[in-house]
Amino acid sequence: MKIVVCIKQVPETNDVTIDPVTHNLDRRGLAGVMNPFDKNAIELALHLKDTASEDVQVALLTMGPDDYAESLREGMAMGADAGYLLSDRAFAGADTLATGYVIAQALKKIGDADLILFGRQAVDADTGQVGPIVAEFLHQPQITYAASLRLSGKNEVTAERLLEDTKQTLVAQLPAVVSVRSELNTPRYPTPRNIQLSFDKPLTVWHHDDLDLDDSRLGQAGSPTIVTKVYAPKPVKRELTPLTGTPSEAASQLITALKSRQLI
Amino acid sequence: MPSTTAAAEKLLLQMVDDYTEREISPQDMPMDAAGDFPAGFMQKLTDTGFLGIMLPQEFGGAGFGPEVTAKALNHIARGNASTAVTLEGHFKTIDQLLKFGTPALQKKLLPSANDRIFAFSMTEASGGSNPMGISSTATREGDHWVINGDKIMITNGGLAQVYCVLVKTAPKELSVFVVDQDMPGFSFGKREDFIGLRGTPVGEIVMDHIMVDDDHLLGKLGDGGLIGDSAHDDARILMGAVLTGIMEHDLKIATDYAKERKAGNTPLTDLQVTHRKVADIAMRKETTRLLYQNAAKLKAAGQPYSEEAAMAKAHGSRAAVSAGDDTLQILAGYGYSREYPVEHLIRDARAMEIAEGTVEKMRSAIATAEFNK
Repeated sequence: MKIVVCIKQVPETNDVTIDPVTHNLDRRGLAGVMNPFDKNAIELALHLKDTASEDVQVALLTMGPDDYAESLREGMAMGADAGYLLSDRAFAGADTLATGYVIAQALKKIGDADLILFGRQAVDADTGQVGPIVAEFLHQPQITYAASLRLSGKNEVTAERLLEDTKQTLVAQLPAVVSVRSELNTPRYPTPRNIQLSFDKPLTVWHHDDLDLDDSRLGQAGSPTIVTKVYAPKPVKRELTPLTGTPSEAASQLITALKSRQLI
Repeated sequence: MPSTTAAAEKLLLQMVDDYTEREISPQDMPMDAAGDFPAGFMQKLTDTGFLGIMLPQEFGGAGFGPEVTAKALNHIARGNASTAVTLEGHFKTIDQLLKFGTPALQKKLLPSANDRIFAFSMTEASGGSNPMGISSTATREGDHWVINGDKIMITNGGLAQVYCVLVKTAPKELSVFVVDQDMPGFSFGKREDFIGLRGTPVGEIVMDHIMVDDDHLLGKLGDGGLIGDSAHDDARILMGAVLTGIMEHDLKIATDYAKERKAGNTPLTDLQVTHRKVADIAMRKETTRLLYQNAAKLKAAGQPYSEEAAMAKAHGSRAAVSAGDDTLQILAGYGYSREYPVEHLIRDARAMEIAEGTVEKMRSAIATAEFNK
């Protein structure tokens, strides 16, 4: 089994500023650390590696400047087997769509990943979008906000989604993309010995020309997102109507509900 | 990109800081109150690989060098000095096995140093800083040695499972043997009730006709004084690192408090008297850091470091007591309260004016080295 965990390096400090022109986070000159939620994703992968009856290989993937290799090494010191760094000036300034595109292309090149894991979101931009975007590019099922996950059969995972007001249990066929919540586990510390041994593990750097890419989808030019303002949204209380019965009955209820609201 | 060595050091210290903040610091006050490590505390530290930080990779350790190892203890001591001192006692013992042990002894013992604490024991009721005053003996009987004696005030005594013991093998001959707590004739005695470093167990072992083979002799017969001095040197570098960590803890408490507190309507940060104390704490901390890092650098380079290690401990221990005293004075009543950690930082630092050679002995060693130049 092959698991790829997609991670991100984020500023170590909460004291980030907003670029007055682009309204994006200004990360220049800030020391980086691995996004904390990504450690939960790595821990899940390593738990599956430790407990599965079959051989499980865990690779890490990130996109960013050269120093993002530090987070890859940290993840390899936790126990991952390999790391991939996607680094090129052409990737700079990417929004979540352009980032997801490059990551998806890299995942295609890595090939045969049974499970692709993400942390629920990065603590700097807080979008949580890249995982779902990658799933769409790869045409794979996705489960977001998983608070538990287990291999429930051959080529199948069962995960519990923890949402604001409810829990959902979903089953997905592999290969699949899953983003995980911090409630899932407590990430292990890298041991001093594994820190040293991580430098013997393969870390592959792929630049622009190493991947099959459509240049119009890269970087700032390939990013349709325009940030006009950054603010904390007000929570919206939504009505929740559970669908019951068999999938067919639930689908009928859903159609009826949507029709009654003249949404379809 | 940084070199592999620098990148590994950064990752280690990052992990140590994270572990210290989440697992060690919260136990600092409870440990002082209880006079012991909490249940499961040492096991988790062991499971996370801390015992093997400086143990060579061929024995299953991480193989970090003297400079990084000392920095790691410095960082741990920011959260709790007892944890750092327990590791110091373990590391100095491993160092002697690496320097003086035969390949066979190293192969036999050192892999277990990843999950068993090792200790070095010299002091007896009849002699502390005077090794020739000890009365423990190893006598030859047939093809083995029989060890008898009573060692006290051992750092990690009672916690450690493997002990390097200084004994007399002739009236004027000191040697070191390695004994294990599982050997027949080995037992634990009294545990000290010290005023500082209260998490670190310091205790007694009793050796009653422990029989060992020649392969348990560390170095050669008569090397006891040499090995003892070497153990002191290695310990003193690490104690300089621990003392630096204590002073960093002091400095954080003092500056955090001064930034929040007013005397009348004047913030403490605007008072010259506060400036003087904070500056003194910072200078004491920084000079100790430079001293221990210099000694560690010399050790890593294979150069003599005995005098420099003595300076790190002699300067650092008094500096840390004074830094604690200044911090206490800035916090005034709160500093004097046992609800705050300042008073126990003074007690912790005070231990290191005595342990691993008194500051008086340090000064004699430093002066002698200067006379001989």
